[in-house]
Amino acid sequence: MTAKTTLLSRREFVKLATQVGVSAAVVGAFMQIRGALTKAKAGSHGPVSDAYHWVMVIDLGRCTGCNYCTYACKATNDTAPGITWNAVFNDRQSFAKEVYLARPCMHCEHAPCVEVCPVGATYHRADGLVAMDYDLCIGCRYCQIACPYGARYFNWEDNNQPNPMAPEWGKPEIERRPRGVVEKCTFCTHRIDAGLENGLRPGIDEDATPACVNICPVKARQFGDLNDPDSKVSKLLAERESIQLREDLGTHPRVYYMLPERGEDQTCA
Amino acid sequence: MRMRLALPNTRQTVFIGWIALLSLLALLGVGTAIWVFKEGLVVTNLSNQVPWGLWITVDLSSIALSGGAFFLSALVYIAGIERFKPAARLAVFAGMLGYGAALCTLLIDIGRPDRFYHPLVFWNVHSMLWEVSMCIVLYFSVLTLEVFPLVTTHPFFDRLPRVRALAERIHKAAPVLAFLGLGFSMLHQSSLGATYGVVIARPIWFRPTMPLLFIVSAIAAGPALTITLALIVGWLRGRAIVPRDVLFDIARIAGLVLLVYLYMRFWDAMAGNYGYVPLRSEATAVLTKGSMALSFWSWEIVLGTVIPAVLLLWAAFTKREAELFIGSSMAVIGLIANRWHTTIVGLTTPLTTNPALTYPLIPSYTPAWTEWAVAIGIIGGVLLVFTLGVRYLPAFNPQSDSH
Repeated sequence: MTAKTTLLSRREFVKLATQVGVSAAVVGAFMQIRGALTKAKAGSHGPVSDAYHWVMVIDLGRCTGCNYCTYACKATNDTAPGITWNAVFNDRQSFAKEVYLARPCMHCEHAPCVEVCPVGATYHRADGLVAMDYDLCIGCRYCQIACPYGARYFNWEDNNQPNPMAPEWGKPEIERRPRGVVEKCTFCTHRIDAGLENGLRPGIDEDATPACVNICPVKARQFGDLNDPDSKVSKLLAERESIQLREDLGTHPRVYYMLPERGEDQTCA
Repeated sequence: MRMRLALPNTRQTVFIGWIALLSLLALLGVGTAIWVFKEGLVVTNLSNQVPWGLWITVDLSSIALSGGAFFLSALVYIAGIERFKPAARLAVFAGMLGYGAALCTLLIDIGRPDRFYHPLVFWNVHSMLWEVSMCIVLYFSVLTLEVFPLVTTHPFFDRLPRVRALAERIHKAAPVLAFLGLGFSMLHQSSLGATYGVVIARPIWFRPTMPLLFIVSAIAAGPALTITLALIVGWLRGRAIVPRDVLFDIARIAGLVLLVYLYMRFWDAMAGNYGYVPLRSEATAVLTKGSMALSFWSWEIVLGTVIPAVLLLWAAFTKREAELFIGSSMAVIGLIANRWHTTIVGLTTPLTTNPALTYPLIPSYTPAWTEWAVAIGIIGGVLLVFTLGVRYLPAFNPQSDSH
């Protein structure tokens, strides 16, 4: 009894210390590897940098429903036949005249898809745009279920077909996504990022601007930085009445819609 | 302690036939699963409009129906009702198989099965589904530890005394495991409901009551499945696997919980649909008087909740096994119907009241044969392991053999 007066013998202490040390090293290595594999450096709660505030403005009064934006998007982003990052809907009910409503990803500030993704495969970039990490996505499709705008598409099958929209509507600029992951409109971040690196101005210089904006024959779509008071988007939003889709949900979308000219029995979308 | 191999001939034939049937179903499931892995989810009837379907219903149902494991274990080891031990043992065994079934179904349902471990490594702690994934894996581990000592009762382990000694040490930790199981289950049984409950885009789901309804229905239907299984095994064997009085006591509890569930469901429906709530009212109408009304009122509400609640309580007074069996099995069917209706009605409702901003039609969904084959195969495989376990493990064949 008297031989053991301390809580731990030296041997026990060394053993315990080794165990704790090894455990800490394993956990540390795990965190390191995980950090290296994860693109989502930003948190899941909106932008961490306010250098830019990218928004898209779509003029419902101007859009003629020609679908060029969809074609250019499908060519540029090399989407599979069943996938349409930018869909155009006919709306005969909301306004006095029929309008066409183009629906890209809203890049919500409070994005339900970012909140629900179990593995953080969809995340907010530092500039606040909602991006996908195709290497993390497990294809559970919870984000599709949670997106209030139906903007997300799943790759149900392999896409080995030639792109029917290319090269007529543009050259594929990004890698095809594998079967089994979810994808959506990126606001052509590959153009924004490369453009900024080369001193271009997204929304003004075509090489740094989303394909759907460039192609629009009636200039119904504008893209730009809301932080810049002289940008086209800032001026448009200051001058004219606009709405966002499902503002009631509190998602704070980055896509604004200019209302068509006021007519009779107009109701808000 | 030799196992009895001399069953009467007809019973033996039936047993072998049953095992053969379940093996065939399991093989069908495995074969179809390999086909789905090879071809991709395009061979299902799932779509961008209805991305979740039959397989999610299998997940949700098997997890809820495994709820008997945590609830009865908590009654035995935390509330100290020792009498319930045989029931808890059966529920834990069935529960482990239920969670195994859920994990298998999840594996086939995700687009990238090769990344099944991602939720364990890449955490989004804001995601209900992440929390559910972690809890399911951890709780499956707890259930496996709980089942391990039952498996080592088999004479095969006479030759492996060290394994059996390890199992005995684990068995001593049963109260700790029951406590862990209670914790994990309280978390994920409810957050499975919250998986739907947090989806603001779908008003029929977006209610704070979803997690509560999910866990309360699991606490009712989980033990009901334990009763059903115990009755069937007892009848086939001609000797009760769980004492009759225990089954009737569990029936009383399950019946009461089912009444509580019905009460919560009633006020949830009343308060949640008072006046017109955009899109929630439309979805509710699909359930109560639309295309799903017949199935909703019959399988889920009347046959699946009201009648089982009455029958379970009635059986507890009359001590008759007929009412007990019908009541408990109808409660199981009611729970499956609830998870199916909840999933499908939420997905087939448009995302906004403006027809222009969503898909033009309410999409419909009928599972493809591939989905049925995999689901039936997984259920067949689970029943196969259950049958063999209950038949051959001494833990489920007590006393009269050795004495």
